[in-house]
Amino acid sequence: MRLAVAALALIPVAASSLLINLLLPAGGGGLATAVAALLRLIGATLPLTLLFATTDATDLLNDLEERGVGRRAVFVLGAALAAVPRAQARAMDVIEAQRARGLDTEGSWPRRLRGLLPLVTPLVVGSLAEVEDRTLALEVRAFGAPGRRTLLHRLPDNRWQRAARWTMAVLVALGLATRVAGVTGL
Amino acid sequence: MIVLEQVSYRYPGTSTWALPTTSLELRPGEVVGVTGANERGKTTLCLVVAGLAPVTIGGELRGDVLVNGRPTVDLAGYELAQRCGVLFDNPAVQLTGLHRTVYEEVAFGPCNLGLPKADVNERTRAALQMLAVEHLAERNPVHLSGGETQLVALAGLLAMRPGHLVLDEPTSRLDPERSLQVADAVARVAGAGVGVLLTTHDEELLARVCGQVMEL
Repeated sequence: MRLAVAALALIPVAASSLLINLLLPAGGGGLATAVAALLRLIGATLPLTLLFATTDATDLLNDLEERGVGRRAVFVLGAALAAVPRAQARAMDVIEAQRARGLDTEGSWPRRLRGLLPLVTPLVVGSLAEVEDRTLALEVRAFGAPGRRTLLHRLPDNRWQRAARWTMAVLVALGLATRVAGVTGL
Repeated sequence: MIVLEQVSYRYPGTSTWALPTTSLELRPGEVVGVTGANERGKTTLCLVVAGLAPVTIGGELRGDVLVNGRPTVDLAGYELAQRCGVLFDNPAVQLTGLHRTVYEEVAFGPCNLGLPKADVNERTRAALQMLAVEHLAERNPVHLSGGETQLVALAGLLAMRPGHLVLDEPTSRLDPERSLQVADAVARVAGAGVGVLLTTHDEELLARVCGQVMEL
């Protein structure tokens, strides 16, 4: 599903890249340049897309912690990953509250734009206030305790998975080496 | 036991005392209700009793707040957490939002203490059982109702095995049926020997579970 969404998101980028390089005089790079630009974009976005398409965020955090990453760093990463859905939920709450007060959020584009300001302020202020509450909530659950946390789950890690990881690391190293040596052009 | 002796408190950067001079005692197994108009310092009292003010949020404290004979200002945040838990009025904020199941969410506190896995599991199961919410263990915390979220947040605190609990307006966002669930849970927790201080405007909750009521 996430891969499909990522692929869909690339369509307008691909179209604009082709448009600029094939049709507009200012671009002028031709088909090869357009394809190269698109491949670079895919190369930049695919690793993270694949990571989150195949890996549950909780598993990722657990594994990082098991490998010795500090609890604070892991929590910050987890909170960052959870921030988007949390902000979406808060935004929906604010929109519903403002609609109930008669704010037009579904009319024409100019009216929608005018309606943005009353949404942004409570969203930002509410999010900042929530940070303080969440800090206190962590404190009352001993998040600041010294030493390592107990991990309830350990992820299976068999020899095939280890072999795959090493293979990928070698491939990355080879790719970098060929790039530095100038063997590949991209 | 938690003892407040002639305590007042003001937040950092303010000149007014958010909590006027107050004294109280909270004994094991006792439920003390705190009521009073808005802006009278009920939430501040919760933070002071639990030691979060001033230990975590700063500010100026006058008088003594003693938890089992030790001043809260001498204890670190994680030490306070094992002596006194606090349930804030918005339980959704109290959940981490990082766990797939209620069980993992409740186990978060004991895991932070670095306890052996068997102890973490034992505490987690006991906390869920005490609040009669074992059936929620495998649910995603994000999809709980308001009342369920309140109980799961409370279970997360109980898993820390605190001797005292402070509940700030625990039923303010709940319908009468869910409020009743929380009241029953408070009675069970107190029955297990935990001293409970709760602030509320809910007369029925005060009448149902509080041994004594003080007004701010």
